Amino acid sequence: MRQLALLVALFAALAVAPIFIHSAVWMNLIIMVLYAALLGQAWNILGGYGGQFSFGHAAFFGTGAYTIAVLQVQLGINPWVGLVAGGMLAMLVAAFIGFSTFRYGLKGSYFALITLAFAEVLRILSNSVPFTGAGVGLLIELNPSAANMQFVDKASYFWLLLAITFIAFLTVWWIGNSRFGAQLMAVRDNEDAARALGVDPFKVKMSAILLSGLFSGLAGCFYAQYFLYLDPSIAYGSSVSVESLLVPIVGGLGTLFGPLFGAIALHTLSEVTRSVIGDLPGASLVLYGILLVLVILFSPRGLSGLINSLTGRVPASKKKEENNG
Amino acid sequence: MTDTMKSGGLGRRQFLKNSGVAALGLGVTGFPSVLRAQAAPVKIGLVHPVSGFIAFSGSQCREGALMAIADINAAGGIKSLGGAQVEAVLADSQGKPEIGASEVGKMAEEGVAGIVAGYSSAISLATSQEAAKTNTPHVVDVGVSDSIMSRGLENTFRFGPGYGNIANFAVDNLNAINQASSSPAKTAMIIHEESVFGTGTANLLSERLPSIGIDVVDVIKHANPTRDFTNIVLQLKSKQPDLIIPANYYNEYVLLARTMRQQRIEAKGIYSVLGGAASNYKFVNEFPEAADLIMDCNHWFNPKSEVAMQRKTAAEAKGLIYTYEVFLAYNAVLGLVDAIERAGTTDKAAVNEALAGSNLDMSYMPYAATKMENGQNMGAAPVNTQVQNGDIEVIFPSEFASAETVFPMNG
Repeated sequence: MRQLALLVALFAALAVAPIFIHSAVWMNLIIMVLYAALLGQAWNILGGYGGQFSFGHAAFFGTGAYTIAVLQVQLGINPWVGLVAGGMLAMLVAAFIGFSTFRYGLKGSYFALITLAFAEVLRILSNSVPFTGAGVGLLIELNPSAANMQFVDKASYFWLLLAITFIAFLTVWWIGNSRFGAQLMAVRDNEDAARALGVDPFKVKMSAILLSGLFSGLAGCFYAQYFLYLDPSIAYGSSVSVESLLVPIVGGLGTLFGPLFGAIALHTLSEVTRSVIGDLPGASLVLYGILLVLVILFSPRGLSGLINSLTGRVPASKKKEENNG
Repeated sequence: MTDTMKSGGLGRRQFLKNSGVAALGLGVTGFPSVLRAQAAPVKIGLVHPVSGFIAFSGSQCREGALMAIADINAAGGIKSLGGAQVEAVLADSQGKPEIGASEVGKMAEEGVAGIVAGYSSAISLATSQEAAKTNTPHVVDVGVSDSIMSRGLENTFRFGPGYGNIANFAVDNLNAINQASSSPAKTAMIIHEESVFGTGTANLLSERLPSIGIDVVDVIKHANPTRDFTNIVLQLKSKQPDLIIPANYYNEYVLLARTMRQQRIEAKGIYSVLGGAASNYKFVNEFPEAADLIMDCNHWFNPKSEVAMQRKTAAEAKGLIYTYEVFLAYNAVLGLVDAIERAGTTDKAAVNEALAGSNLDMSYMPYAATKMENGQNMGAAPVNTQVQNGDIEVIFPSEFASAETVFPMNG
């Protein structure tokens, strides 16, 4: 319950941030951190808690993004409906990928490669079919109003994203404290042992990928509404998949706050390197990469693990407890 | 945060020494020299992809924009603001629209008077939209997508042509070249990159080519980056089109052209539309055999304009390859500063209004008189170029032509 209280307090504090922060730049940075945290938390459900490392979360992200965009641009359907539809369709894609991989026992590197392949197939498809705008992409008409889920101020985007991210974090808290979560972690740690104890690994993994797909799809919907332009590389490109997995790996796999720590660290790092040596083309990316390697080298269990070790709150050996927090 | 600098990577003294720009300043930019007053500098944001897969083009844009700023400052700055110097605020979009938009947000808060961005169409769409939220004047330097200008954003302007215009021009001139030939092309294949620029161009050409009697036998799309064109070229070889039409970014264009030469593709012509390399001295100098006789429909300067040739010489003296990115970004900065000059203020609404009414003399480009409609310069037009004897010649329109067309290329 302490974690839940902390979670609620944290998001409550964040919710009032726009009252004190008037800089659009800072608001944008916070929005991008939350967006990365949402992407990372979506991946964390399947990869961190479920042990199923996906290299293709862009498949869910892109489906959500394209759904909300296609519904608006091609069919004139309201984006609020599109948000729900985007999440649902992303779940449908997740169900298809999950069924066709878990059903045949694919895991580890095979699962990772299959997810990568699915994302790439979707990228090629969206590049070819006319309703996604093919390579030209889709431009959502600029028409700011709350009814169109387009806001003049960044605070409204922030609150929308904060609400979605809060639901994602609340879901992960529930996973960490529920029977389903225990089953999921049991499957992650030893699938055969879990099966022997009566856990149905297929069902558990399917549930995890559905939840993961839902939140990744919602992140895609948000991206589409925030930037109002999509093309196949943006929606299904590998950079989304990489960001999705990098955030929880840096922050702490299978932990509630890990994706938030990872998102803060990565975006701060990116901003700082761009500020310090942004004039030298590419140098910021090199520095970013070096610092990232250092973080991973010296904190293999992510920033959550590092923070726990430093504060001495959780002994390193108590992995289970740490996994939940 | 972004970085601020006054005149690019080269100090003004060095710049003057290398290019003799002090003499050029007045004639080249049209900004008369005045004694510099102690006016507050005017900041202009430059957002380009100087890292990532289109880093070469992005860097060229940045250099072109910085050259313009150096020239303007050398000529006395912005006269109506007491000779205010122009300061560049630099940012790298890394080839990603969201990072480009984020940098624009920072610049707007930093108080830039206007923004020049963003090389690619996808980035320009994002940067102009972000700039629109604060009504910050935004001039698109290279991005050719028509959708950039069709959204009705009051802060977005483009002095160069869009690809609807370019594709129509390309088809009309191809028809003229074909009609004048004793052995006209009857079939074509289009090889294009997969983003908005390549796909949009391919779509327009596929629609229009049949109307001039050229059958499009195939359209092949490739990813960015693509490093092996063997399969695509083998398809070309099997279908034997009379005309090969590439629409890709620089690296892919070079690799495609080289592979075509290696595989000894025999076509009547290679006719690019916005070819990333076909009108690029780097390609022509490094791979003269692969580049020979390739035709292109692209942005180009007016080879008969003294100002244009002086700028080219100044750029080359600085060690730059004078590609379209350089002079389009240069023009974009010039257009923005001209608007600030005429507005006599950096007030965003006033500068936007001045941009909308721009009548900038662009006789150094192969354009008609500058006339803005919904932010687009309707006088802007591309030209046809052809690589001949290791140089890039303008072959059409005739008033700007520096050489006769060679077609078909194989005799």
